[in-house]
Amino acid sequence: MLETSRPSLLPLLTLLVCAVWLLAGAQQLAAQPAPGKESPEEICKACHVEKYDSFVASRHGVKTDSRTPASRGACVVCHGDSALEHAKKGGGRGVGGIVNPGSKTMAADAKNRICLACHQGDPKRTHWQASVHAGRDVSCTSCHEVHTAHDKVRDKLTQPYVCFTCHKEQRVQVNKPSRHPILEGKVSCADCHNVHGNNPKQMVKSSVVETCYQCHMEKRGPFVHNHQPVTEDCTICHQPHGTTIANLLKSRPPFLCQDCHASLAGGGQHPSQYAGPPTGRTTSSSALGTVGRGCLNCHTNIHGSNSTQNSATAGRFRR
Amino acid sequence: MSQKTKRACKVTALAAALLTAYGPVLAAGPESEVSIGIGNWSDDRPQTGIYDGMRDSGPYFLLDADILKRDDATGTWYGLKARNLGLDDREIKAEWLRQGNIGLSLEYSRIPRDSPWTINTGLQGIGTTTLLVPTPSITPGTGTNVELGTVRDQITAKFFKSLGAGLNFNVSFRNETKEGTRAWGRGGAAEFAVEPIDSTIRQLEALLSYSHEGFQLTGGYYGTSYENANSMVTTSLTSGASPFFLSLPLDNKSHEFFLNGGYNFTPTTRGTFKVSYSQATQDEALGNFGGTASPLAPTHLDGRLDTTMGEIGITSRPMPKLSIVANLRYRDFADKTPVQGIVFNTTGTPTVYNTPFSYTNRIGKLEGTYLLPQAYSLLGGVEYNAQDRTVPSVGTLWVPFRANLDETTYRLQLRKSMSETVNGSLAYLHSDRDGSSYVLPSAGPIPSVGEPNQDRINPMHISDRVRDKWRAMVDWSPAEKLAFQFVIEDGKDTYDGPNTYGLQDGTARLYALDASYQVNSAWQIHAWYSRNETEANEITQRDLTTITKSNKLSEIGDSFGLGVRGKVSDKLKTGGDVEQFRSVNKYSQSISGAVLPATQVPTPDITNTLLRIRLYAQYAVQKNADLRINLIHERWSTDDWSWMMFPASGATPWAYGTTTDGTTVSANAKQDSTFVGVRYIYRF
Repeated sequence: MLETSRPSLLPLLTLLVCAVWLLAGAQQLAAQPAPGKESPEEICKACHVEKYDSFVASRHGVKTDSRTPASRGACVVCHGDSALEHAKKGGGRGVGGIVNPGSKTMAADAKNRICLACHQGDPKRTHWQASVHAGRDVSCTSCHEVHTAHDKVRDKLTQPYVCFTCHKEQRVQVNKPSRHPILEGKVSCADCHNVHGNNPKQMVKSSVVETCYQCHMEKRGPFVHNHQPVTEDCTICHQPHGTTIANLLKSRPPFLCQDCHASLAGGGQHPSQYAGPPTGRTTSSSALGTVGRGCLNCHTNIHGSNSTQNSATAGRFRR
Repeated sequence: MSQKTKRACKVTALAAALLTAYGPVLAAGPESEVSIGIGNWSDDRPQTGIYDGMRDSGPYFLLDADILKRDDATGTWYGLKARNLGLDDREIKAEWLRQGNIGLSLEYSRIPRDSPWTINTGLQGIGTTTLLVPTPSITPGTGTNVELGTVRDQITAKFFKSLGAGLNFNVSFRNETKEGTRAWGRGGAAEFAVEPIDSTIRQLEALLSYSHEGFQLTGGYYGTSYENANSMVTTSLTSGASPFFLSLPLDNKSHEFFLNGGYNFTPTTRGTFKVSYSQATQDEALGNFGGTASPLAPTHLDGRLDTTMGEIGITSRPMPKLSIVANLRYRDFADKTPVQGIVFNTTGTPTVYNTPFSYTNRIGKLEGTYLLPQAYSLLGGVEYNAQDRTVPSVGTLWVPFRANLDETTYRLQLRKSMSETVNGSLAYLHSDRDGSSYVLPSAGPIPSVGEPNQDRINPMHISDRVRDKWRAMVDWSPAEKLAFQFVIEDGKDTYDGPNTYGLQDGTARLYALDASYQVNSAWQIHAWYSRNETEANEITQRDLTTITKSNKLSEIGDSFGLGVRGKVSDKLKTGGDVEQFRSVNKYSQSISGAVLPATQVPTPDITNTLLRIRLYAQYAVQKNADLRINLIHERWSTDDWSWMMFPASGATPWAYGTTTDGTTVSANAKQDSTFVGVRYIYRF
């Protein structure tokens, strides 16, 4: 293990400080008012106690926030005024014309209008209507659970499994040997994708490279010697969801490199070499494009080089 | 007592103290829980333990907390969420929020990455900026075993304040340090080197947003900086010969200002816009690389990247059954770094220049969806992307370039929705990419060796390309408790162009079946199977004459999962998952008009298999406390030959260098490990 990965006391101290802080906050809890007996949610609670409890315990259930359903009519805000008619008639699926955004038979855009009435103001959702998801009948409730203490899609550890419901290819890719720490909950789909937005490929930033720079800013440069694809789109060479080739490469060197490079001049014959491991130790560049790091055995600064060495081969990312 | 055990005692004692002192006091509002436990991995897990901080066999302490309390009188939330506090990939977040008014949070997260390889080397100076490669070579396998890896430590702070009347202010700041080592190369020779990593990324974003009924407007600033503690690594042989100076990424920073918004003109028509401008700069001193730089070379790059983006869009339902989405997008990425000579000949004339690349994209998109009877709908769309690209005008070209690319994409989708039993979609995409004529490298044909097609390749990302993709997806619920999902995808890219070499075509297919069954109110079963098939065909250059090399690369993956969740009794819950992921990569090569030389080592198939079995049982020892037992068994196997060489005597680890170095890299081809963990979970 790395020396640098030894545990530090920082998190534990933070935990202690926060616990004391929590205690201070908890002392105010005795002042909680009793819920109103005549409120619409009390009517709904009679039959839907679990939904009621989850609503009250959620951020939707905070009455001091003027934006929440709790302060604007409770259940009827999302389920419609017909929810009261539904209650009067004794309940039952669809009785009284109750609006149920969790229903399969309700149109996606009708469901989404309910949520967007409050949540469109979130800057990440300004462009929802133009998003790919909105255009494919994906509704908020396709991914989000409202009546739960733990909305899986808002937890980094469980979010990918919600996305895998439709994105089957990625379910396999994230289990390949070269991958991001998605299974560990360290990188989530939403770290790279704004699924509520309309950027190309639903990226959180306006391009793929700007999205990747959030964590891989050393690739931004600009370098003295830029490798052109690096400046354009990381996914030309990398498959970020996972691959069987080291460093998330889409294909193994030299095959990958030979998709752009076909040159005998200047560098001997090695850009056109066969792929195959060597038969023994060698320093021949024509036999080193496959084994180990492949072409990167020598072209080690493949993302760009800042070398100003006065060498005719300075632009080849070897230094 | 081992180091891990000592650590565990501290952690456990602290957690117990927290539970005792604060648990009962906080017994109100949303549910909270703290779990404490211990687990043990039976064997090392170099491959599957890359990121989870449990690469080595042995005991680990398990401590998680999710404490969330609310003061209803003020709408104030107090949150503390901690995950994996006993492990290297620990994270903890504290949050205070007076909902709708003001809030702040502070989060710490560590991401370890341990290289799955064991490196045996005589390289000296690992982790520093001075590396010495042994000469003469060590006898392969007799060096020191080293394990490389990195650790990212992220601290994120966020603040929110409502300014009233729909106006909100958000600011977030992240500081991320990355330290460690990474496998590298010495560049000047194919010898092993290690890149020292010691950098810091900082990101600050401030947003001011306004929202009132159908109008939203957000403006803000996004600033970043990258700082690298090192700018160069000096390497040489232990004899002092062959010094090579390796550059590292230099400090850079960026500033971006943006404004975007939307307005509902009518209940069915909405307009949106985005504008942004950013400037990134890199101007750290370049150094003279041990005196190897020309005195005429610049001392600073004066690097500057300007990105301008603008977009307008409209979504509308002009008729009850028709909805449309249309937008125009312009993005200009301009590398405004001045072009300067970097390498000079003896007369002082530059021969190599720095290489800025710029791109301008103009994209138009129109998509319409028409509602058909019985909840069917038909979507049709077209998108046009015109791109201007830099073709370097000075220096040597190594690959062909194109000044313009144009791509038109058509989409068609038939959907069925709003049914209790069958929903689904059938989608087709067709796109066609072409562009301007190629600017070829100046080297040209080499008559002396009979190579007329020197550098004549259609690079894969600018080649003419026709793409066809199909996707069918069906959700079928034949009974209330039984559901199936079928997905079939088929995609084909066909590449074309005037040049001889390059990617010819590629196909990708996916077949997936998911099923879930609610046996009764207590038990649920789900299962899935997925098959992926990809193939790429390339024609690449072979040395001399007109011989070409054809490569057929393929990967076939078969994966499945089976899971069960259930309640044996009111007190006992149990369940488990079995998942297997298997992929086979094939690398087939042939050459035109000849057979591969007998001396050429073939590229064997590579099969990777991961089997993961997870079982758990959770027993309620009291109303608000459970005891949970987890059992995980992992089996990873690979026959990846990436670090092997194949002499006649049989496969053996490849060693760097011949008379120097001698580093070997190995990976454990079969890794089996079993984890047993027990946790006490307390809710309050």
